[in-house]
Amino acid sequence: MSCAELTPPEAARWAARTGLPLPADRHAAVAATANHIHSVVAVLRELDFGDTPPAPAYRAEQEMHDAAV
Amino acid sequence: MQPYELSLNAAAEAIRARQLSPVELADSVLERVEQVDPHLQAYVTVTAEHARRAAREAENDIAAGHYRGPLHGIPMGLKDLIDVAGAATSASSRVRADHRAQADSTVAARLSAAGAILVGKTHTHEFAYGLTTPQTNNAWDTGRIAGGSSGGSSVAVAAGTATFTLGTDTGGSIRVPAALNGVVGFKPTYGLVSRHGITSLSWSLDHVGPITRTVEDAALVLTALVGHDPRDPASLPAPGTDYRPVADADLTGLRVGVPRTYFFDHVDAEVEAAVRRAINQLRTLGARLVDVEIPMTRYIQATQWGLMVPEATAYHERTLRTVPELYQADVRILLEAGELMPAGDYLRAQRARTLMRQEWARMLQDVDLVAAPTVPATAVKAGQETITWADGTVEGVSDAYVRLSSPANITGLPSLSVPVGHDAAGLPIGMQLLGRPLGESVLMRVGHAYEQTQPARELARAA
Repeated sequence: MSCAELTPPEAARWAARTGLPLPADRHAAVAATANHIHSVVAVLRELDFGDTPPAPAYRAEQEMHDAAV
Repeated sequence: MQPYELSLNAAAEAIRARQLSPVELADSVLERVEQVDPHLQAYVTVTAEHARRAAREAENDIAAGHYRGPLHGIPMGLKDLIDVAGAATSASSRVRADHRAQADSTVAARLSAAGAILVGKTHTHEFAYGLTTPQTNNAWDTGRIAGGSSGGSSVAVAAGTATFTLGTDTGGSIRVPAALNGVVGFKPTYGLVSRHGITSLSWSLDHVGPITRTVEDAALVLTALVGHDPRDPASLPAPGTDYRPVADADLTGLRVGVPRTYFFDHVDAEVEAAVRRAINQLRTLGARLVDVEIPMTRYIQATQWGLMVPEATAYHERTLRTVPELYQADVRILLEAGELMPAGDYLRAQRARTLMRQEWARMLQDVDLVAAPTVPATAVKAGQETITWADGTVEGVSDAYVRLSSPANITGLPSLSVPVGHDAAGLPIGMQLLGRPLGESVLMRVGHAYEQTQPARELARAA
């Protein structure tokens, strides 16, 4: 397990901080799923975003302008 | 041919010409439901009494000269995430056991105004959070998955238990089950069709669109659905347009992008062969094939998950705390784990979406559309959890099915799935046509042109 991965007690504590108390029998499964999601999403850290703003939702007008179609 | 076998366009023509009454059509479809739905389980609820009453009203209106257009008197199914006033929107979940919609969703209201007749509400993977729809069986082989999350809507159209349906699509949930059941599925440009009154999976990725037997049918339904709606914050100020494709099948001058990367990686050989045959058919019709490089492929899954996971968890915040035991296990664990994603990851995914849509816009300056497989494999057996590719790579079934469809959700681009044949086991294969923003008409034109070169499709045989 890498140091970035959550242990079951850590997952339970993080969940509690969000207001979601987890029963003890779910700590391990939630930690495993959260770690898997993290491993998928973490590749975005490779990107240098510079001044790129977030796109909270897609807007077709913007795309039309970008694509000049 | 029985009325339930007719395409929407054929049924509409027959109704308009007074050769078929809406009552005959509704009775035929409802008999078909009684005959095959016990094996297929496409429907959560069937509103037979309502359908027969509405069909009689349609018949009387048309006889009195009040014909409303091609959807008048046509039986439809709505995915059970779509509100219909007075009916439960179950989301195929025990969480919604006591639900009752107070008002019609915008799409239900628009279809009702166009004269379409509700046959029933169709099954979804619970809250649309999955790609299999385990309650429902594939229309071609009941031992295989329906695909999802609009599994019920796709099976109903394939089996003749609805003349058309609506589905929703957050990562491929219209196009995946449409491809796996041999029907047409269309995800419009983000914001083109209002989602007001539809249960959300992920606000910034959700779309609603038609599932039909032909591309022309999809265009007819889309025409009725489009219109600005201030109650959906993403809704675009779209003018009324008739999306029905022209009869001319000549595609001379059109540039079709054929991906060099990503869309043909880890794809079943029979699926690839069928899609490449269909693409070559487009060339025969006059289109020019242009190799294209799909941008930022390494970041597609990460961006999709980075957006969808926290948004889905946010939607379910209250019920995850009050009735977690009512969710199915696969959905509950994703919702719980979603609580642990930092805001930084979500923002990174939003910034990646900015870059990705810029890169796709650049690519689409060189071509008018992109053609690719909808899904990398045909329908797997119920209960199968992984797919092993020729190079030994093992991929989760849901990851595989969403892999080729999610780029259109992240970028918001329109995407049309068209059946392009069957594998050796007789299972349907789908081709995906991805267009420019608001390029719906181009996709309908190309899909319709391709269909005109093929024999008319028959209903699914497992039904």
